[in-house]
Amino acid sequence: MKRVHVFKFTLILSLLGLNACSDFLDESPQGNLTQEFFPSNENEATLATNACYNTLRNWYYHSGGYPILDIMSDDSYKGSNPTDQASNLNPFNDFTFTPSQDGLDRWWNALYEGVKRTNVVIEKVPDVTMDETKKAGLIAQARFLRALLYFDLVRAWGGVPLVLDTNPPLTLGKATEEEVYAVIVADLQYAIEHLPEQSALSPVEYGRATKGAANALMARVYLYRSDFVNAERYALEVIQSNEYQLDPSFSHTFSLEGQFNSESIFEIGALGNDGTNNGGNQYANTQGVRGTPNRGWGFNRPSLDLMDHFEVGDPRKEATIIFLGEVLDGVPIIGDGSTPDVTYADPPANTIVSEIECYNQKVWIPGISTAEQWGHNRRLIRYADVLLMAAEALNENDKPGDALMYLNEVRKRARGGNNSVLPDIATTDKAALRDIILDERRSELALESHRFYDLVRTGKAAQVLGPLGFQTDKHEHLPIPQTEIDISQGAITQNKGW
Amino acid sequence: MKQIFFCLATGGMWLCALTLQAQDIKISGTITDKRDGQPLVGVSVHVHGTPRGAISDYDGKYTLMVGADDKELRFTYTGYVTQTVEIGGRTEIDVVLSEDSDILEEVVVVGYGTQKKSDLTGAVSSVRGGDLTKIPSISPEQALQGKVAGVLVSSPSGAPGAVPVIRVRGVGTFNNASPIFVVDGVILDNISFLNSADIASMEVLKDASATAIYGSRGANGVIIITTKQGKIGDGKPAFSFSAEYAIQHLAKKIELLNGREFGAYVNDIVTGTYNNLDVLPNTDWQDLVFSDAPLGNYQFSFSGASERQQYYVGVGLFTQNGIIDKSGFDRLTIKLNNTYKLSEKIRIGNNITLAPLKFENSPNVTYAAYRAQPVIEPYNADGSFAEVPGVGNPLADIEYSNNGGKGIRTVGNAFAELTIVKGLLLRSSFGVDFNYAEIRSFTPVFYVSPQQVNEINDLSIGDFRNSNWLWENTLNYNFNAGEKHRFDLLAGYTMQQLRSRIVSVGAENVISEKEDLWYINPDNINPNTVFHGVDPNHNYSLLSYLFRANYTYHDKYLLTATFRRDGSSKFIGDNRWGNFPSFAVGWNLAQEGFMENQNLFNTLKLRASWGQIGNEKISYLDQYALILNGVNSVFGVSEELVPGSTFGKNGNPDIRWEATTQTDVGLEIGLFESKITAEFDYYNRKTDDILVELSTPGYTGNGQGVKVRYNAAAVENKGLEFTLVYNGRAGDLKYRIGALGSTVTNTVKSVGGSSGVDSTLVGGFLGNGQSVTLSKEGLPIGAFFGYQTGGIFQNQAQLDATPHLSIAEVGDLIYLDQNSDGVINSADRVYLGSPIPKFIFGFSTDLSFRQFDLAIDFQGQTGNKIYNGKEAVRPDLYNFESHVVDRWRGEGTSNTEPRATSGGYNWITSDRFIQNGSFLRLRSLTLGYNFPEKWLDRVKMTQARFYLRGTNLWTSTKFTGYTPEIGSGDVLSAGIDYGVYPITSIYSVGANITF
Repeated sequence: MKRVHVFKFTLILSLLGLNACSDFLDESPQGNLTQEFFPSNENEATLATNACYNTLRNWYYHSGGYPILDIMSDDSYKGSNPTDQASNLNPFNDFTFTPSQDGLDRWWNALYEGVKRTNVVIEKVPDVTMDETKKAGLIAQARFLRALLYFDLVRAWGGVPLVLDTNPPLTLGKATEEEVYAVIVADLQYAIEHLPEQSALSPVEYGRATKGAANALMARVYLYRSDFVNAERYALEVIQSNEYQLDPSFSHTFSLEGQFNSESIFEIGALGNDGTNNGGNQYANTQGVRGTPNRGWGFNRPSLDLMDHFEVGDPRKEATIIFLGEVLDGVPIIGDGSTPDVTYADPPANTIVSEIECYNQKVWIPGISTAEQWGHNRRLIRYADVLLMAAEALNENDKPGDALMYLNEVRKRARGGNNSVLPDIATTDKAALRDIILDERRSELALESHRFYDLVRTGKAAQVLGPLGFQTDKHEHLPIPQTEIDISQGAITQNKGW
Repeated sequence: MKQIFFCLATGGMWLCALTLQAQDIKISGTITDKRDGQPLVGVSVHVHGTPRGAISDYDGKYTLMVGADDKELRFTYTGYVTQTVEIGGRTEIDVVLSEDSDILEEVVVVGYGTQKKSDLTGAVSSVRGGDLTKIPSISPEQALQGKVAGVLVSSPSGAPGAVPVIRVRGVGTFNNASPIFVVDGVILDNISFLNSADIASMEVLKDASATAIYGSRGANGVIIITTKQGKIGDGKPAFSFSAEYAIQHLAKKIELLNGREFGAYVNDIVTGTYNNLDVLPNTDWQDLVFSDAPLGNYQFSFSGASERQQYYVGVGLFTQNGIIDKSGFDRLTIKLNNTYKLSEKIRIGNNITLAPLKFENSPNVTYAAYRAQPVIEPYNADGSFAEVPGVGNPLADIEYSNNGGKGIRTVGNAFAELTIVKGLLLRSSFGVDFNYAEIRSFTPVFYVSPQQVNEINDLSIGDFRNSNWLWENTLNYNFNAGEKHRFDLLAGYTMQQLRSRIVSVGAENVISEKEDLWYINPDNINPNTVFHGVDPNHNYSLLSYLFRANYTYHDKYLLTATFRRDGSSKFIGDNRWGNFPSFAVGWNLAQEGFMENQNLFNTLKLRASWGQIGNEKISYLDQYALILNGVNSVFGVSEELVPGSTFGKNGNPDIRWEATTQTDVGLEIGLFESKITAEFDYYNRKTDDILVELSTPGYTGNGQGVKVRYNAAAVENKGLEFTLVYNGRAGDLKYRIGALGSTVTNTVKSVGGSSGVDSTLVGGFLGNGQSVTLSKEGLPIGAFFGYQTGGIFQNQAQLDATPHLSIAEVGDLIYLDQNSDGVINSADRVYLGSPIPKFIFGFSTDLSFRQFDLAIDFQGQTGNKIYNGKEAVRPDLYNFESHVVDRWRGEGTSNTEPRATSGGYNWITSDRFIQNGSFLRLRSLTLGYNFPEKWLDRVKMTQARFYLRGTNLWTSTKFTGYTPEIGSGDVLSAGIDYGVYPITSIYSVGANITF
């Protein structure tokens, strides 16, 4: 009897054990798809393309979260209350930031995260079996976005690692500025050839890249390269396509109702929900009115210098800046209790005003909550910018007449029917007109992250920003984030001057 | 103690007397204590296999009638090793019993079996008895603190229910460096479900000889926990009850600026900010946030045994409130251990713990209390919460936080043992661990300030289910070959599968703030918060084969060889299976002929071991490159959210086991009949192929803060351990003095090879862009790395003459130009110290004098540094630590404290924030009083003891934070004080009653 027990016991154990061995250790990931099987069809190719646009609502995409490009220009101060993020953002105002400055890594990493997403489409979608025209359209969207992202990288840092596939080597160094620009131009060329015009886009597709957006970005790229012939060519492509026209009202251009208006060439769609994957974009919340109404954190405070820059009576001043006491869309702007209404440069005498509490109106969304503020569609490329780019290029190419035509088109719209302000410009003196166009860009494009680069590329940065701390041969570019250099073990070298 | 057990035993004597049967031979003898030769009172003597027995008297004498057929006598005495003696026709049998804790005859639980301490070739330390319940804590592992050489126990948080961080012999991996726990054979990652009072012993396996039998999971040490069983004794059940009630008190306040000092400081930054310092409020946020809180720990158990059955039933209730409002932890434990002897050959049994628990987590307001400006009144005139710039009002944080949960954990096993022939035991054990937890958090609508506001109420609910089953089958053959050769052979195979399910959902705009309505329904659900998936660290399978051979020659020469082969679903292809061998030898010198004529050493043993062990505590998903879903975009005039998916971070299909190679040489000494015992170990533990998450270059597009795991590093830990115990008595005073210590030298041997990602590991992120640790070859893991300061710039001339960052001003810190290149940049950052203590130690004294007992435990560490991360992070104007009062205010005023600034240059990563982490702490002090027997007899009690206890009563340290005992599960961020929930001093009263 006992022997039988022993036998049974042993038998059961060994049988159970042996049975279980064969596939016991083969487990597949639960609830997750692996990369080798994606994208495998048209639907997934579209999903992969959609995901590229998601980066544009990543908070870090917007220069690491805070509008440092505006803060680095003469257009704005840090904003918020005096201490909030003071050590992280004031260094951008006075050019004391360092390679380990908060946010540089965030911006860098977000841009490359976007690059990776575009590379998924550019590398993998060609192998997907689907309609070839649709396929080229998806790839063209990705290449437009990759160009947009690399343009941000090359402007901010100069030569950067050039990643053109989904699995780059871990020993990559920096490419030259020229190599990066060559990729940008090639990507935009492909995008121009394969993207539809705005008018061919169904209204439910608004927000996707178009041929016009690619042409406009190409013009901007060439302007930064001081290749005025090509800048003129691509700006005129946009103008002559007759796809766009200036919104009759400057303030409407930025408003909620003005989303995807006739002058918006490339715009980031967003929903009034907090959270990037919920459709929100924190870009405007970061700059939203602080206090009452509580629309956000109140960063990017327009400077007195900017206010003084607007020509007398220029309606764009009021449309660009929210002043305390103003009533916007029925909401009285009271402001923040922890923020002084007026900041003096000479306390305790308090005779010289250095800042006043005010906010960026271009990101205003009607309402009183913060969530709605996430719904602001950031306009990345406007027709007004294209007109001014055209004017600038034409002037440089010694075609002042055409230049004035486009410049005055912008001024005409700005004056909003009030002919007593913003008179047409008539000078054809190249140098004078160059300065006038730059001034016009400042008035038209204030707080849209253009000013700092405009000053750098026109060689005016030292003169204008020098008093704030700008040093030539250093601050034209940001320092490569220290963490990136540490991780690369010197394969990536620091920029000149840092 | 002896008296107690005597009472217990005398109670049982009456029972025995009733069952006297045919007896014709009278046997008598004396029972003495091995340690001091004193008679033992109340020892139970049984005729083996019968209910007949007797109890020794005050002189240790017993008398007993036995039958002619009776063969063996069994001597049982609680706390002592049971002895079975063959009668062999004798009528006088004297017996010497040894205490359980007696190192010589101690039986030590090792992996898949037990061994006599004298036969052991591995480094194994035990904690048992009163030491297990000295610290009022939910975590039994607290008992190891300062009690086991080579084990570092530190508390990352004083929050109720917080689990300590344990490191055995340094830090052997960049990964999860915690040991595994084996509770009655069930392998687990944490034991917070276990009531200390239900534990009989904890064994820490340290060297490869001991841990290699756990193969892929043994590299960071193994802690084996054996829970209590009914003792085979006189058959009478023992009831015991204990209760402890305590008050927890913030052990130390951080010295911060008061309102006036703060105002003066801020005026130094911006002149005239505060015009009248005399009228500034002075709010002590620490006083407002922390308040004394109660703790209670109660248990009841009954246990007993008969010839066929052993049982133990324990019920415990642990209830702790936190010193921050709205934090607490309550746990009920029910322990059921049973063993049944079905026949002479078959034994079955179970060990089961049920632990329902409930907890509430306060928001982390420690940080806010530290940062909040003292010039802010906590409340506005209307009673509402005042706005506190930068951090928010911590009182409002608490008020509006409702975060807690409940759960139940069930851990247990059922086993069957079959003795096939004498010495050949087949054992099969099926263990399970089911854990269910529900976490719920509700934030109502509130407004304090624009930064501290919630416009729509939020509810989130998470359901977590983990299950883990482990089936172990072992065959053990224990035999002698001739007089001198003893063999103990083991073979087995085990299967384990871990599964998890997580469902979490968030809702907004819940219809009412009443708790009864905190449920998710279709109207309030926020679809983007819905998650249903598995816990990637808890979803895998393991299959193992294990072998061990112990050979003992003449009790002198010992040999152990083990081998385990593990397969894990976390790895694929050739990397799936790993082999983990070990070899060890021991030499009991005291048994040698040449040692016969001395009586100094009763133990003298040399042992040495070598082996390889693994670690695999990583996510099962690390091998895969996954697709990221929900990467949505917004298109269209009418703005529709359109789904998107793309590549997530890169995976690494080549990952394999971490392999630790450990060598150990040990010496065990027992002097003067074990009055003095000592144990010394030298160890060298090197881990290669460490699985570690590395920051990949940003250009790989993995995203901010996303890392990929590689087998990329090697680390060495080596050091010495010693344990000394002296037992003695002087008249009625009995004492036991113990001291132990261990050294660790932790060195990163490599962080990979040639690729761009892996020659340094940046860690210790403070959350403001600063990282304060850098792990690289030649430095300890998680070494602090930053600028070294060299005084203060006293004047412009000095500033101009010294290399400096462009933003430096007079009155700022001087960062040293380490490479003398005339420029201060990242190349000038240097090693600033290690978070790993070089020496950890403990010493303890247990005294008993008549009815009184006194236990004092000290514990400490030296040689480590702490980075005061909470002070360094300053995005806003926060309060400051008091030392800034002595700041630089003009030439010659200070050369250590820089001028007043609210952030920026003086607050970047430097030795300014490095502090000495050494400390000596009075961990526990207990004074007990045992009621005399004659009183107890009247109320039929066997023991009644009352005690007063203090925990963390006194700490000597230079560290300015709440506690120098900084722990972190993340080895790259260890030793950084982020502003955690402070630990407390605990003042207790308690009672133990047995009847």
